Parts: sequence; structure tokens; C-alpha cells
Amino acid sequence: MAREVAILWWAMCAFATLVLIVVTALWVHAMRRKGPQMDAARARQLTLRWLVGGGLLLPTLSVLLLLLFGIPIGHRMLPLPLAGEQPMRIEVIGHQWWWEVRYPDSGVVTANQLHLPVGRPVDLDVTSADVIHSFWVPRLGGKIDMIPGRDNRIRLQADQAGTFRGQCSEFCGTQHTHMILDVQAHDEEDFVNWLQARREQQISALPGPAGEVFDAHCGQCHRVAGVSEGNRAPDLSDVGARSMLGAGVLSNEPGALLRWLHEHQQLKPGNAMPLHDDLDPDHLSTIADWLETLRP
Amino acid sequence: MTTPSNEQVAAQEQLHDQFNDVWGNPRGWKSLTIVNHTTVGIRFMLTGLGFFLFGGLLAMLVRTQLAIPGYDFLEPDVYNQVFTMHGTVMMFLFAVPMMEGLAVYLIPKMLGARDLVFPRLSALGYWCYLFGGLILCASLLLGIAPKAGWFMYTPLSSAVHTPGPNSDFWLIGITFVEISAVSAGVELVVSILRTRAEGMSLNKMPIYAWYILVMAMMIVVGFPPLILGSILLELERAVGLPFFEVARGGDPILWQHLFWLFGHPEVYIIFLPAAGIVSTLLPVFCQRPLVGYRWVVLAILTTGFISFGLWVHHMFTVGIPQLAQAFFSAASMLVAIPTGIQVFAWIATLWVGRPLYHVPMLWLVGFLVIFVCGGLTGVMLALVPFDWQVHDTHFVVAHMHYVLVGGMFFPLLAGIYYWLPHFSGRMPSVRLGKWGFWLVFIGFNLTFLIMHWTGLMGMPRRIYTYQSGLGWDLPNLISSIGSFIMAIGIATVLLDIVLHFRFGQKATKNPWNADTLEWSTHLPPSPYNFVSLPPVRTRHPLWEVPDLEERIDRGEFALTVIDHGRRETWGIEPLTGKVREIIHLPGNSWWPFIASLFIAFTCLGLLSKFYWVALVASIVAVLVLLRWSWENGAHPLAAPDARVQPGEPPLHSRTCDGPGLWGMGVTLLANGALYLALLFGWFYLWTVSPNWLVPDDPVIDQRLLLASAVLLSVVVLWQRPVLRRLRQGQGEPAALITCFVGTALLGALHAGLLLWAILAGDLAPRATAHDAVIVVMLVYSLAHGALATILSALQALRVHYGYVCKRTPYEPLVVEQFWQYSLAVMWITYCSVVLFPPTFGGV
Amino acid sequence: MQPLRSPYNPIHIPLGLVLWSIWFVALYGGLSVGCALAPPDPAQGQWTWLNGLLALFSLLTMVAMLGLAWLFQRAARDQREGQPARFVARLSAGVNLIGAIATVFVALPTLSLPPCL
Repeated sequence: MAREVAILWWAMCAFATLVLIVVTALWVHAMRRKGPQMDAARARQLTLRWLVGGGLLLPTLSVLLLLLFGIPIGHRMLPLPLAGEQPMRIEVIGHQWWWEVRYPDSGVVTANQLHLPVGRPVDLDVTSADVIHSFWVPRLGGKIDMIPGRDNRIRLQADQAGTFRGQCSEFCGTQHTHMILDVQAHDEEDFVNWLQARREQQISALPGPAGEVFDAHCGQCHRVAGVSEGNRAPDLSDVGARSMLGAGVLSNEPGALLRWLHEHQQLKPGNAMPLHDDLDPDHLSTIADWLETLRP
Repeated sequence: MTTPSNEQVAAQEQLHDQFNDVWGNPRGWKSLTIVNHTTVGIRFMLTGLGFFLFGGLLAMLVRTQLAIPGYDFLEPDVYNQVFTMHGTVMMFLFAVPMMEGLAVYLIPKMLGARDLVFPRLSALGYWCYLFGGLILCASLLLGIAPKAGWFMYTPLSSAVHTPGPNSDFWLIGITFVEISAVSAGVELVVSILRTRAEGMSLNKMPIYAWYILVMAMMIVVGFPPLILGSILLELERAVGLPFFEVARGGDPILWQHLFWLFGHPEVYIIFLPAAGIVSTLLPVFCQRPLVGYRWVVLAILTTGFISFGLWVHHMFTVGIPQLAQAFFSAASMLVAIPTGIQVFAWIATLWVGRPLYHVPMLWLVGFLVIFVCGGLTGVMLALVPFDWQVHDTHFVVAHMHYVLVGGMFFPLLAGIYYWLPHFSGRMPSVRLGKWGFWLVFIGFNLTFLIMHWTGLMGMPRRIYTYQSGLGWDLPNLISSIGSFIMAIGIATVLLDIVLHFRFGQKATKNPWNADTLEWSTHLPPSPYNFVSLPPVRTRHPLWEVPDLEERIDRGEFALTVIDHGRRETWGIEPLTGKVREIIHLPGNSWWPFIASLFIAFTCLGLLSKFYWVALVASIVAVLVLLRWSWENGAHPLAAPDARVQPGEPPLHSRTCDGPGLWGMGVTLLANGALYLALLFGWFYLWTVSPNWLVPDDPVIDQRLLLASAVLLSVVVLWQRPVLRRLRQGQGEPAALITCFVGTALLGALHAGLLLWAILAGDLAPRATAHDAVIVVMLVYSLAHGALATILSALQALRVHYGYVCKRTPYEPLVVEQFWQYSLAVMWITYCSVVLFPPTFGGV
Repeated sequence: MQPLRSPYNPIHIPLGLVLWSIWFVALYGGLSVGCALAPPDPAQGQWTWLNGLLALFSLLTMVAMLGLAWLFQRAARDQREGQPARFVARLSAGVNLIGAIATVFVALPTLSLPPCL
């Protein structure tokens, strides 16, 4: 889909450049032209030709041409009913400032990353939990707003496996900048494996005092499958396998989680997680180490 | 031509002295009372320049922050305030007021009039603009500026997600500033239609007046939806009426509709007057008339209308059905056609003429290149699939700056250079002017051309920083460097303009050999523009009547007697330009300044949540406005001496169709646009609100509502025959007083019933959007009923004092229009609130 | 001042585009209400009762505007009227013609897109 739009862009760009050059050249030529003073009748005739030709016909034809190409492309982007295999459904919910991703058919939930099968249409049902956000993965296709109280649907299809960058594109407050979605397109088999692994993932609770700290301080907002059921902040069940932390603030290298726990208000000022200054640093690093192990 | 004798010169000077006694501007503190359009226009433009520099500074901050990836020059929250204020200041405090200021300055001079038709209204508009702008900008210095974007999308701007006064500054400040936009709009429409030179028929109007006429009408119809939206959103924030909150039956998309219903026409409100400058300047530099006058008028009208059918192209990603999007997409592309016609009319004008080179021409060429480029990307954006890709990226930022800077700023500078001799009496320099132009032109393109590319690579708008390695580093750095070059260019231009006031060559009369009447005034002009008002028989008076300036100055034409102390100009028949009456204009006054001061107090009271201060200040403001209206029509202060010269038409206050009637008509058009926007909101929510809550039982006593509407009908029916007789020159004071007192009493009863209906009903405006909208509709009618009642009571008093009688029937007819409007609104509200819901599954 | 019904009254200059605006609001409003009350099955594509109704309505509007344009153009040829009056009539005719063209242009997508998706 994005490829069609790219072709459209280059065609329009070429045409627009041509028009710009021609109009500017005409203008400059008209300014420098040294001809004999024109009589009224000739001027009138010439004028009419300019107005009808340049003013009326040129824009009308260009615009008609554009619609002729553009509307069919738009038509193909519509989530129309399909005859054969039904598109896969994924729900994406925008939050200030992170993404909640749900696979309703398998009950899998994740955050700030979106796993897709390749070569198969995917219908994304998007909405928002607070303000208006907008879902956009530039390399895969157009964008669609995520609006509280409404469900919007966009159909995408990845044609090859790979990683794509998505970013919220409707201004949504202080950290609009850091609302990045990591999109991973897998071959059908890999995708099914990933989904399966997530479904079967067994997480044992963190033992000891750090476990209590996690329950008391983190579990009310964060969900870790089988451990805590918070739903106000990103699901952490597979946080160790994500490529980024804080919806695009840090790359998820060893140690990055601990840094995030200590410095998240400097790294992403205004985010909803409270400071952890009152917690024992040892407990924090135990929690961070444990979170890093959470992978499907 | 013979040289005038000494006596003639003396007589001429004496005449000008007499005119200065009546029209002259006071100095010192009293200069706050000035209402003259020349002064008000210049004040608008200078204030606009001030806000432009402020907005430009904010742009520099933005570009500095984005120059390199991961830069922490501005904190995220500050950055959000800065870009929000940059957009807001440039749109509301620079572009629109600047264009209005230029029109306020030029229109009477071009049309051969001595002033605008409601001079005190212009002064009020200016003070509202100044105070509103200052309040808004102060918020940034206090660190509590609006930060939800210049489009204020809710729920982000709501009390939940932006607590604190930030959004309030925007909603209240902008509404305050818009009083000025709408009042200038009303005034320009009436002035263009009713106060042109004798014989200047519609087809002989300077083309600039057509542009301004359409622009002013667009303001009148286009701003009210935003005013309504701001009022609703502020009510939601301050009082909790949930118009836009899904959980209680509202819809945030309604705000987007109301905002863009204004926001898109706004672009053309800015562009049209700029195109008007181009169409005025090019023929002068070609020394040939504009080619295709009628084609261009048609193009202006088309642009004006079609631009109201494009608003959804800002909302292509909100999930509206694609067929609906296609309508707006097609309409958006359609606008290219009238623009194309204008561009080719300009090219043809250059083709048949012999263009001369001057600094303004340079800016016009710059305009063409940049604007055509912006127009072309605009057509691309109108295509839905492409828009889905680049919407809310830097591609749109680039497009929008190409259209607005190319389409507004470049022609504006061409115009400023062109009219500089008019403001200062001196000519601009060529060398510094050229430097300024090239720096701005190169800087601008460096900043924004590459920004298209940044956007295509996926950089969204309104992010305060970005990571390295996405390919965005270099283009952003180039943009930032370009923006600083542009800033230096603008500084050069300003320096040139400042220096020219001191070092510029003295301008000769009509230095560019222009064709329009503004060049027949003195340079700089006297407050009365023309000592005698010339008749106009052609589109190019100064080309075809070469010694017109001297003859005007010698007092050879009309309305040269001024010992009566009135400020006068012609009132004409709109189509043919035949003289119908003498319009006598009010002089300098404190009322506009005081009124706007109290409106400012009201705003400050609302902002600081001292609601009793706001209440007292708003009551005082209304009282001041009513007191102002007292010195009107046939009041001795408005027309000290009502006699006219033999053979001259009557004073407008002695006629039935004066400018007041037109002013009221156009104001009611604006008011009607506001009401229609409210009605749209009502039906919109019924149709598409995701969680629309309808009560089980009627929330309001329908009999009370019906009785109230019937009473209002009785008032209007009672007035009709009385006022018809008044129009025919009949009617004794006693009968008039009976009628006005009676209508006032019935009006009071009508308003009382309405108030009772609101208070006695089961309305829960904080619980559901349904009830909240009903409350707003009823309060709207209540306010109209109450105001109409007060106006009729005042009319009775004015009959008693002898200001209104069968010889001076001017005012009651104006008030009648207001009653009729209120009646129409009342019945529409009744039908929408009482009769419509049962047909749509409600009660 | 010309009577309101005279084709030379300047109030008629914007008539064609005023009609266009009303038509446009009715088109968009009709589509929204239609989709809210009785949305046609997306499988039907663009050939639904709703598209048909909107297209027919647009066609009628266009014909009305062409008729008006013709009336004004005829009035503009009347040599007995003054130059300003004829200017106004020609302008009104032009505006109506533009209104008709704009109507067709904007209504074209009703023939190619399903209504409520």
C-alpha cells in the first residue's frame, strides 16, 4: 500500500515541478518580454486565451487526472469484506504515552510493540483511553486517528519480514515525542510461534522483599501475566524481549531497565510513573534484573 | 493650467483648517479617543508588527531546539507552549489583524470616502485586539501559556488533561481578539457597499475592494463557529458541561468540526486580501489595467464560497466514511481553479503591459514562485491516500508555510513597500530593499523546501526532539540555518523601513503613477482624506482624470461645507453608486476604549476564576455600550446641526435605510452563523455521538416554551404596522411610545417565561451533553429576548426625548430587525428541541 | 434599489454558490444521516440506494443552477439596462455556472465509492 502511495508521490512531484517551472518561466518571460505595444483587440484575444487555457483548463484537467488515479488507490485501502481468508484482527489502544496491543483471538496482550504476520491483511481496530492519538507506521501505509469512544479500523499488510517504526502522529501532550511503536513483521510460521510462546509463557513471581515491593509499587498499574493485574500502565509480561523502553526513549540493552527505573522522569519528563526515590536501590535492581528475564 | 492666485491658496488653506478643526486628532492622553480610520489602521498594523516579531522569535526558539537531535535547549512543556503560541500568534494576532489593518487604512481612501462607516466600532475592535493579544502573550511570560496546539483539540485541552489556566488563556483570549475581527468584518462590508464615491458602481470598484468585501464576508460567517466552539469548550472546562466528553454523551470530533469550519476559510481570509494587493500592484507596475476584471471577481467569489466546503480535509484521518472524504477532497482540488484563473490573469497583465522594476515587483515574483509551489502541494494533500501518509508530518508544515508565507507575507511586503510613501511621504531605498528580499527568499526556501523531504521521511509535527540515525539530522539542521538567514533578512527589511523614514527621498505626488484614489490624498494623508469628494466614472480615476488631485484639494467637488461641525461622507446606492444620503460619522470618543477595558476586566476575571469580578465588569461593559449607543442617530451630539445645503440629500439619520440597518443586518448574519453552528452541534450529536444519552421524559416544560415563543410572535406582529406607518412618515410620539413600552413589557414577559422554563425544568446540563446543548440554546434565546427588551425600552425613552420621531425613523427599524431575528431563532429552537427529538427516537 | 426579484439586484450575485453551499451541506448531512439510520451493506459497493439518491439530488441541483445561469445570462444581454446592472447579471450567471460545475465535480465520487466505510 505504501508503495502505491510512493509511486503516486513521485508522479505528482514530477508533474508539480513541471507546472511550477512552466508558470514561473511564463511569468518571468512576460515580465522581460519586449514586444510592440499591443492594440486593444489583440490584447483582449490574448487575454481570453490565457484565462481559458491556463486558468481554467490546466487546473481542471490536472485535478481530474489526479482524482482518476487517486480514488482507486483510496478504494483499495478500504477495509472492505474479503472473499477468502479473513483478515487478522488486532486491537491497538493509545495511552499517554504508550501503546497497548491486544490480540483478541488469542488473548495475548503486549505494549509498545506490534507483531504481525507477513503476506496477510491485518485489520487494526484502534481507539484511545485518554486523548486523541494517531496510529501510523510510515512504511506500511496511512494513518488513522485513535479517538476516545470510537473504534477506527485500518487495514495493513506487510509484504516482507522486518522491523518498522511507528509513531503517534497526533499531538497528544507533553511526551507526544516519545510514543514510538516497534513493529515486527514475521513470516507466518514465526508469527504463530511467537503467539504460541506468549500464550504458554509461565512467569513465576519474584520472591523475597523485592517481590513485595513489586506487588505494592508496580503491580497496581502494571500487569505481568500470572503475577499482577494492573491495567493503567504497559503490560510487562514480555518486557525483556522488547527492543525499546519507555516507548522509544531507551534501547533495551542490559542495564537499561535499571537506568529507566532510576531516571525515567529525566528521560521522559511528565510520564505517569511515580519516582522511586523512596525504594531500596537493591530492590530496584532485583526488580530490573527480573524484568529483563521476562521473555516468551 | 493656470497657477492659483494668492487668494485662492489662502481660501484653500482656510478650508483645510476648517476640516482639521472637525477631523483633527487630539494628542496626549486624548489620543486614546481617536476613531479615525487612518490612525486606527496604522495602530492595527504596528501592533500586528509587534506580535509578528514576537511570533517570529518563538519560531526561532523552535528551530533552535530542532537543529540537532536530542537537544535539550527547551523543556518539553516549554516547547509545547512555544509552538502552540507561535501558531496562535501568527494566525490570530498577526495575519488577520494585519490584513484588516491595511484594509481599514486603505478602503475608504480607495473608495473616495472620508472614513469607515462605523469609526467608533473600528476603535473598539482595535482595543479588543490589543488587550486580548497582550493577555494571551502575557501567559507565555508567566509560563502558563496554552500548550495543546493552536487547534486546541479536546480532550487534550480539556480540564482533565490540561488542568491549570493554560487552555483558558487561549479560549478566552482568542474569543476576545475575535470581537475585533468580526467588528472589522462588519464594518468593511457596510463601508464597501454603502460609502463609495459618487458614481462608483459595483463594476467600477477597485479590485482590492472586491477582495476585501469577500474577505470581510468570510470573516463574518467563518469566525462565529470558532467563537461558539471556544464558548462551549470553556463552559466544559469551567462549569463541566460535557459537550465534547464521550462518557456523558458528547463527542470530541464536534470540536474539530467547529474548529476547521473556521480554520480552513481562515487560510483564504488571509490569502484573499494578499491576492488583492497583487492584483492592485501589478497593473500599476505594468501601467495597464488588470486583465479580466470580471473573471477575477468571479474567481474571488468562488474562492470565498468553496473554501467553506473544505474543512474536513484537515480531518481525513479521523475515520469519516471515505465517500464523505471524497466530497471534501474534490472540493479542495476545485479551489485550484479560481486560483489558477488569478495567476493567469496576472501573467496576462504582465504580458500585455510593460513592467517596470521596483522593490515591490521583486516581492511579487517571490510570491508567485512560493505560492504556486504551496498551491501544488496543497492539491496533493487534498488527495486522501496521500494525505493519510503525510498528514501531521513536516510535509504539512512545509506546505502550510509555503501557502501562508508565500501567499500572505510576500504580497504584504510588496504592499508595504508600495504604500510606504503613503505612510511616510518618502520613497524606500532600492539597495537595502533588495538585500532584504534575497535574504528572506533564500532563507525561506532553505528552511521549508527541505522540510517537505523531512516529512516524507516520516518526521511527525510537534515533537520536541528526535533520535539520531533516522535520516532527519541533516535536513533539520539545514532548516534551522535557513530560518536564521530568513530572520536576518526580515531584520534587514525592517531596518530599511525604519531608515527610510529619515533618509528616504521625498515622494512626489502619486509616485508610482497609480490609478486608484488613495494616491490623490496628501502624503501622508490628512484625517479627512479628501477635502472635497470627487465623482468617479471609471475604474482608473487617476489615469483618466490627470489633475484630479489638485481639483480635490481645491475643494471643487462635493461636501465641502463643514461649519455645521459634522464629519460627513456620501451614502450611496450599492449597485450604481448614485448618492442617496449624507452619512454623518461620529467623532472621537472615550466609549470604545472604556468598553474594551471592561471587557478585558471580564476576561481577566474569568481567567483568574474571580467570577464576581467578571460579572460586575461585564455588566459595566454592557452599560457602557448602551450609553455609547445613546449618542446616536438624531441625538444632538451625533448631528449637532441637522441642516443640509440646498440640493443635497438628507442626513442618514433622517432616512429609513441608513448604514445602521446594514450594520445590524451583517451583524445578525454573523450571529446567525454562530447559531447555525450551535444547531449543527445539536443535530451532529444526535446523529453520530458515540454515547448519546437521551432522557426518558421531557426535560423541559414544553407549554412554557410554546407560550414564550407565542409572546415573542405577538411583539413582532404588533410592531409591524406601527413601523410600516413610521416608514411612510406617519406616527405620533404617543403612539410610538405605547408601542415600544408595550413591546418591552411583552418582551420582558417572554424572557421571564423562558427563564422560568429553564429553571423549572429537569435539566441536568452537567450530566448529559443533551441537556447541556438545550441549556445553551435556551440561554441564547433568553439573552436575545432580554437585549431586545432593553433596546425597545430605550427606544420609548428616545421618542420621549425627541430623538426618534416620524422625521427621524432611523433607529426603530434597526431594532425591529433584531426582534425578527430573535423570533426566528426562538421558533427554530422550539422545533429542534421540542418537535424534532420524537422523530429521531427521543422525547 | 432594484426589487428583490429583479435579476439585476446585486443580492443575487452569490446565489449560485449559496445554493451550492446548501447542496453541499445537504449532501454531507444526508450521507451521515443515511449511514447512521440505515447503512447499506458494504458488499454492495457503490451501487446502493444512498449513492443513487445523492447522485440524483446532485443532478437536479445542477440542472436548477444551469437554468438560473441561463436566466441571468439572458437578462445580461438586455441592452436597455445600464452597464452596472448588466455587469451584475453576468456575474450572477457566471456564479451559477460555476456552482453547477462544482456540483458535478464534487458529486462524482458517489459513482465510485461505497457510502459508509
